[in-house]
Amino acid sequence: MKMKKIRADIQALLFLLPFLVVYILFTLWPMVKGVEMTFYKWTLIKKMDFIGWDNYRQVLQDREVWEALWHSAIFVVLTTPTMIVLSISLALIANRKSLLQKFYRSIFFIPSVLSVAVASYLGLFVFQPYTGLVNSILHLIQLLPGDQEIFWLTETSLAWIVITLITLWWTVGFNFILHLSAIQEIPDEIYEAARLDGANNNQIFWRITLPYLTPITKTIMMLQIIASFKVFMQIYIITGGGPLDQTRPIIQLIYQTGFRKNNLGYAATMSYLLFVILLVLSALQYWINNRKGAEDR
Amino acid sequence: MKWLYRIISACMATLFAAPLVWMLVVSIKEEGMKIITVLDWFKPPYSLDVYKEILTGTKLTVWIGNSLLVAALVMVLTVAVAALAGFALSKLPFRYRTLMFFVVLAGLLIPGEATIIPLYQVAKDMDLLNSYQGLIIPALASPVAVIVLKSFFDGIPNDLLESVQIDGGGTWRIFIRIILPLTRPALASMAILTFIGSWNNFLWPFLSITDDNLFTLPMGIPTLMGQYSEDYVKPMVINAIASIPIIILFVTFERQIVKGISMSGIKG
Repeated sequence: MKMKKIRADIQALLFLLPFLVVYILFTLWPMVKGVEMTFYKWTLIKKMDFIGWDNYRQVLQDREVWEALWHSAIFVVLTTPTMIVLSISLALIANRKSLLQKFYRSIFFIPSVLSVAVASYLGLFVFQPYTGLVNSILHLIQLLPGDQEIFWLTETSLAWIVITLITLWWTVGFNFILHLSAIQEIPDEIYEAARLDGANNNQIFWRITLPYLTPITKTIMMLQIIASFKVFMQIYIITGGGPLDQTRPIIQLIYQTGFRKNNLGYAATMSYLLFVILLVLSALQYWINNRKGAEDR
Repeated sequence: MKWLYRIISACMATLFAAPLVWMLVVSIKEEGMKIITVLDWFKPPYSLDVYKEILTGTKLTVWIGNSLLVAALVMVLTVAVAALAGFALSKLPFRYRTLMFFVVLAGLLIPGEATIIPLYQVAKDMDLLNSYQGLIIPALASPVAVIVLKSFFDGIPNDLLESVQIDGGGTWRIFIRIILPLTRPALASMAILTFIGSWNNFLWPFLSITDDNLFTLPMGIPTLMGQYSEDYVKPMVINAIASIPIIILFVTFERQIVKGISMSGIKG
């Protein structure tokens, strides 16, 4: 009997083994290794001196770090609500029966499959002064006088707008599909019953569609917040963190500290600060989801 | 009301399509044309010479090949590894199963970005920097894939598995003959999402690769763009060449992709 149990254990372990090997080597082990790194002066070449808590002390007082975290937070605040409104609007458009229904679904999603580099450069050219698509259209319809130019990336607030627009265009697709499939799962009878009761389109949207979308919207919101906090690539290409580091997110600072300033130990310390923040956000998500579960029961 | 709706829909679609259409139109223009108003972008003469120049004169095709190779291998191996693990967690009785499940679940809380610096050090210690192995292997352990697939395997009734066992089939046969065929749609959707994820992965290749023969597209593109800032045609050709394969892939697998996304949302 005991032999049989051991055999079952070994068999299960064999099935788990490939996953466990990679998971331990490239996820769990780096987590541990990273803790060691935070206690050292550690360069790209090698481990240097043990410096105790210095990195931690420094990170808490480092203005650049808090500014970068703040920029990541600004990005979250700019993209999350706009993302949700846009995603629901697009889902409503693509849900309506029409000849173009399939086309709408494809065109709203296609930007999401582009490589982040393509999406960012395309956006960059669209917002280029003089010859970019936006400025030249503004010139054409005379909204922008011929002798004036908008320099989208030299002013912080405009740069944020550009970053947000490009991000929405590039990433709304996934959320849009989630919202669309949630809308399509709302039973038709409910709409019919509402119409029989004389509800108009407006009422149907606010009283039926939107409440049905609340659970998926909550999920999207939390995933969006966590994902946005980790933003790096599109900002790196579009503004390079500028003007004057005013849009530099925390991941970019981590990268620059580690690889440009040759200080992996300090960069690792920053990563753990980010990790703690993300952990708190995840815990919040878990808490919100579970509270929702409790209501359902 | 109906018309308003249609107009808004059409405007939205135009906004979403405009950058892509613009990219394609500019990419087939002749180089060095004067652009005074926006309409000039759309006027002839057209030419495909720049396509030829970029395809033969740069490493873009090498990078597309690298991206395809890495994404394909990551896709196949991630799904295989996750299916094996998900099957064990779902259907095999063993001690510490719950504990093991939570160990995997904990992985969801560890964002790759937060461990990227130590991962670099670990990969360096293992001599994996600047290699295909280094691009592929660290990406294979996906806790999300394990958990999503496990929940699909959970949906297969145990009676079905027992009937095979009575016929003398071993665990491996159950996995290959029953579990995998029955969950094929889930596996396919997971595979496609993994492929797109890998295709778009930037941070890890950016840090771990310095040899430009091993670049993937997201890294290669910025390198090329730096050289061509004068005219729009070359950058747009680069963008177009980089996008066309993945857009074709999307159009071919649209149904599975959409299903895969809705599925991950329900589970997430």
